[in-house]
Amino acid sequence: MTSWNGTRRDLIKTTALAGAGMGLGASAAPAAAERGGKAPRGKADACIMIWLGGGAGHIDTFDPKRRGDAGRNAPGSYYDSIPTAVQGVRVAEHLSRTAKLLDRCVILRTVSHDLVGPHGAASNLMHTGRKPSGTLQYPSIGSVVSHELGAKSDEVPAYVVMGYPNIMRDPGFLGARHGYVYLTQTETGPGGLTRAPDVDRSRQQRREMLLGTLRNRLRREHAGDPAVQSQIDVNEKGFRMAGRRFMSVFHLAEESSSLREAYGGEFGQRCLLARRLVGAGVRFVEVSFNLNFLNGSGWDVHQQGILKQHLLIRDLDRGLASLIRDLEKHNQLDRTLIVVSTEFGRPPEFDSQGGRGHQSLAFSCLLAGGGLRTGQAVGATDELGKKAVTPPIEVPDLHATIHAALNIDPAKVLYAGKRPVPITDHGQVIQEVFS
Amino acid sequence: MVRSGLLLSLAAPLVLIAGPMLDSSLEHAGPVVVEIYENLPPPPPSTPQEAQAGWDKKYAHHKARDIDLSGLTPTFRYTESAFGFPRLPAKFSKNALPLDYSEPFALKADLHAALPAGSYRFRLRSKGAARFALDGKVLATTKRQKPNRSSNDDLPPPPEFVEPPLRPASVPHQDALATVELDGGEHRFTLVALIGGYGLIPDPAELSLSYSRDGELDRLLGGAETPFLTNAGWEAYEAGMVARHIEGDRQRRRAIDDPVEAAWAQRHRRVRAWLATRPPMEAPGVSSEEAVHNDIDRFVQAQLEQAAVRPMPLATDLAFLRRLSLDVIGVIPTADEVRAYLEDPPALRRQRAIERLLNHPGWADHWVPYWQDVLAENPSILKPDLNNSGPFRWWLHQAFSDDLPFDRIVTELIEMEGSLYKGAPRGFAMASLNDAPMAAKADILSQAFLGQKLSCARCHDAPFHPFKQKDLFSAAALLAGKPIELPEASTVPVREGSRKPFVQISLKAGDVIDPHWPFQDLSGADVVAAPPSHTPVTSRRRLASVMVDPQNERFAQVVVNRVWKRYLGRGLVEPAHDWSQAEVSQPELLRYLARRFLESGYDLKHLARLIFSSHVYQREPDPLAAAAENGRGGLFAGPVRRRLSAEQLVDSLHVAAGKSLDCEELNLNPLGDRPLRQFVNMGKPQRAWEMTALSNERDRPSLALPRAQALVDVLTTFGWRQARQDPATVRDDGPSPMQTLMLANGPMGTRITRLSDDSGFTRLALEDRPLDELVHETYLRLLSRPPGKDETNVFTDYLQPAYADRRVRGRSLSDVDPSKKTDQRVSWANHMSEESNLIRMQEERSVRMGDEPTEALQPAFRERYEDVLWALVNSPEFMLVP
Repeated sequence: MTSWNGTRRDLIKTTALAGAGMGLGASAAPAAAERGGKAPRGKADACIMIWLGGGAGHIDTFDPKRRGDAGRNAPGSYYDSIPTAVQGVRVAEHLSRTAKLLDRCVILRTVSHDLVGPHGAASNLMHTGRKPSGTLQYPSIGSVVSHELGAKSDEVPAYVVMGYPNIMRDPGFLGARHGYVYLTQTETGPGGLTRAPDVDRSRQQRREMLLGTLRNRLRREHAGDPAVQSQIDVNEKGFRMAGRRFMSVFHLAEESSSLREAYGGEFGQRCLLARRLVGAGVRFVEVSFNLNFLNGSGWDVHQQGILKQHLLIRDLDRGLASLIRDLEKHNQLDRTLIVVSTEFGRPPEFDSQGGRGHQSLAFSCLLAGGGLRTGQAVGATDELGKKAVTPPIEVPDLHATIHAALNIDPAKVLYAGKRPVPITDHGQVIQEVFS
Repeated sequence: MVRSGLLLSLAAPLVLIAGPMLDSSLEHAGPVVVEIYENLPPPPPSTPQEAQAGWDKKYAHHKARDIDLSGLTPTFRYTESAFGFPRLPAKFSKNALPLDYSEPFALKADLHAALPAGSYRFRLRSKGAARFALDGKVLATTKRQKPNRSSNDDLPPPPEFVEPPLRPASVPHQDALATVELDGGEHRFTLVALIGGYGLIPDPAELSLSYSRDGELDRLLGGAETPFLTNAGWEAYEAGMVARHIEGDRQRRRAIDDPVEAAWAQRHRRVRAWLATRPPMEAPGVSSEEAVHNDIDRFVQAQLEQAAVRPMPLATDLAFLRRLSLDVIGVIPTADEVRAYLEDPPALRRQRAIERLLNHPGWADHWVPYWQDVLAENPSILKPDLNNSGPFRWWLHQAFSDDLPFDRIVTELIEMEGSLYKGAPRGFAMASLNDAPMAAKADILSQAFLGQKLSCARCHDAPFHPFKQKDLFSAAALLAGKPIELPEASTVPVREGSRKPFVQISLKAGDVIDPHWPFQDLSGADVVAAPPSHTPVTSRRRLASVMVDPQNERFAQVVVNRVWKRYLGRGLVEPAHDWSQAEVSQPELLRYLARRFLESGYDLKHLARLIFSSHVYQREPDPLAAAAENGRGGLFAGPVRRRLSAEQLVDSLHVAAGKSLDCEELNLNPLGDRPLRQFVNMGKPQRAWEMTALSNERDRPSLALPRAQALVDVLTTFGWRQARQDPATVRDDGPSPMQTLMLANGPMGTRITRLSDDSGFTRLALEDRPLDELVHETYLRLLSRPPGKDETNVFTDYLQPAYADRRVRGRSLSDVDPSKKTDQRVSWANHMSEESNLIRMQEERSVRMGDEPTEALQPAFRERYEDVLWALVNSPEFMLVP
């Protein structure tokens, strides 16, 4: 097999190549790349992005290769592979539930970038689609979607994160109003929106009554001052947003116990909450799978972290498969794009204690639902998953594809003040996922 | 010889011998003579592998017995009262910037003393290599601390009280014990310790030498009445030492700085002499002096008369005080300050308030966050990678605390010297993961001090500005001190056959650009008054010379305009950071203020005083100023209505509640076994500007700092930027519903309104006074005004039912620090462990529960009074600058 040296974006200026050296089940990626035509658009209206922070190893999940042996230092997958609902496409054995639903999914097997060392920088790249420039701060994809689509109603935020707040999730030059509401544990609900534990409904009403006295006085005394009036308005609007209707979305206990069990542990509960949020009108939900304590290292399986990696994979499998089925049951799957993303993959070789390092030049992400042409793996890597043998999918391409699926113009230009900033860094939509 | 006769029964009487001559610039604190040694020779390698390349840097971890100080001259020699060294003197450059000690450095402490005859057990406590010697004979050693490359170590066990109440040795400290019989004669006690080194944080931590006799409790070795080695004893000792060293460092810094200050004063005289040769500037005549306090008002009034617009009336005295206090020191006034102000004669109270506040240390606290934004200070507490700078906040704070002239501040910033991680201007030089760091810095400096936005010239010629890409890179080359090669990523990819790009491209990747001052139109090549220098003139200093030269009128005008905009809500020139197509509303006033600023010796306080004293600053906000269509803002009939910045809000709420910021130390490496370049310790914040991005891009519970996060959540919602990848003059901090919610429901708002034992409102509620006076005082503390009659009625009615029986008999307030505790064992080295993750998640839940409510107030009253506080804190009035 040969490795691929160009990029999808290079294809624009070079001749399209025939699909040389493609793996089993992969569709003909290069020939289908865009050549100046109008980008396709999907019809999804919301996105759930599952984030596997730490760097989920593609060869142990969505791009299995021959078995390796950590003990004998023989490179290869850590697990056996199994067939899926799509002929010719296999995944790791611990993804058995998702395997049965793979016809609702697209595996992207040649995602690629060059930030292999630091997690922070690579995670930032995956979220913003760009490296930092120092001349402006780029927004996260959640903020861009929030900026383009807004929330479906005034009473819900457009962008919700389940995970820790940090810079890569920030709105950057789009401004604070395109930031997110976040929660770190499903049991507590989002900070800010959830009332303090000692304030019940009637106490809150008494408080707002007292506050009303102060608002009324201010309104009277500054009747002609628009700046004061708008301050009073957002004060009132805030309490409407924390109203009962939206907050009830967080009451997972309203779901049947069999459904909650099907979703599994905390990660699964986050997926369930994501479905409820999207149903309530939220546009972009990021679900972080950051439950490091399950295996001692999260997805960053250096050294002995790999010993219990299968627990993470099974949790992912359970949550993801339940989410797909549950969205389907609610007739939301076609309108909801699921993205499984991570900052990089991991090499087939093992480190001194049988774990794995980082690999960014070829790794896998997954798309599901969203009205896409699912049931395929796009692109292929070499026999040990070290390099792409079809054109790499660069991070801007992935972003352009997500935008297109959400019916956002992937060639749109945003503005940082007067400065035009293309919505992605010249990303090219992955044509194969649109029928 | 001095014989101490005041010892407690547990202590052995000491005979003290006079020490050697001491460095007179360091404080004289006690009989223990301390020396700091730098640039230590590496010990000889012990194996052939060690002898290979890189030995000096990577493998030279000295063992305690290998530390050889012979032939070295100490950097410092000073004294302490005892053998405990939680804080060492700061090291300064010739212009008083903080410097680092060499890595590693050594501390040597000596005491000549006679202890009564008997059996002693000495305890050497150190986290790294150290030795204790008696008369030159080594009796105890501790092991070197090893740099750690792991992140999945086990969580260390909690510190264990082996001999309570002895303070246990917390990880990574080791105790080494030595038992010895003393004969009652004079002996020499020596401690030598290695601090820092490759891969380690250079922090002495709990380095100490203590002793016990006949099984009694340990106390530190030293002079009379040294503390016992208990938690309380050590903490009090540390607090005293820190306070002493902060003051000692300040005095030493000022002494070092005296000649430097004199040299800058000399420069200012030359500038004034040059200004005297220029045509004088006079304020215009006006037909009504009614709204005139000083010349500023004459410029403004002349234009108002021309436009036939009446100025707004003066704001009330109380509104003025709240506004002024927020503008000068960044917080609202306390109730005591409000009362004192009202006791001043009405004709004098405003001017007295201005003087009092300008002399308040909060002046520096309120300027630092402004320049953090403008200068894109962007430190990371974890492995800097997203265009991070080093921290230079502490230098900024020091510069404003010391009232350094502004030309000096800018010059030192451009020179980028001092320590990289201790907050010196050298931190400004860093731009991690940026392929053209000096181009980024040139843009920042140019926007900050010249009103020239060069960002758009980073990758191509600026389409909306008269700058070419070469201009930016010429300035960048001046900062770099050498020609710069244009990196690939700073170019626009042009595809064959695609449309011609909108932007002009005159350089290509790989082009080499020479150092060159690109703004010839602003100033000539010669300089009226060069900044004083103690070092050879570098190209950075040449850049600074041209920048702050009085011939470069733009510099003073940009600075003056920034200050004006900060206090009036709108610049005389807008936008303040980008003058190339700016609207100038009062050009004469701008030139006048710039002249006065230069004449004052680049003194920001002088300028601020001028503005605060003007009628225009003291007016009611003009409701029409912000309206877009009639352009009235530039007339300054009154200030533009402003809202509190995120920092003003957070700090003011804590002032009102009488509570400190509840925050962890901003440090993800408390074990100290990773290097500074990966883990900067940003300290424990006392003001909001000291917060920093929490940098949990790895999204791991164990890397969260839940108490800090509660503050960061409020700050970011109100427009504070935790990442400052680019410079910003104006924040995106307009009102949003999430702000309302974050304050109303979040943990910080809960802490402010919670009546815990440490709340000022709890103490207030326990005092004897009629209910309406409680409401009155509560209003003064939170809104700086008395309640209106309607408000008094509503709030007294609400509190009345529970007021009489509010006290719980027999309960008083505890003075135990009620703030949440953080488990210091969780550190990068073990952050992958399950325990570390669970500990932080538990701490997060605990933060959400808030402070323990006081038991001195009946819950029925406490909850009602908390509701009142909640309503006042969350009222839109609190958010508005009056």
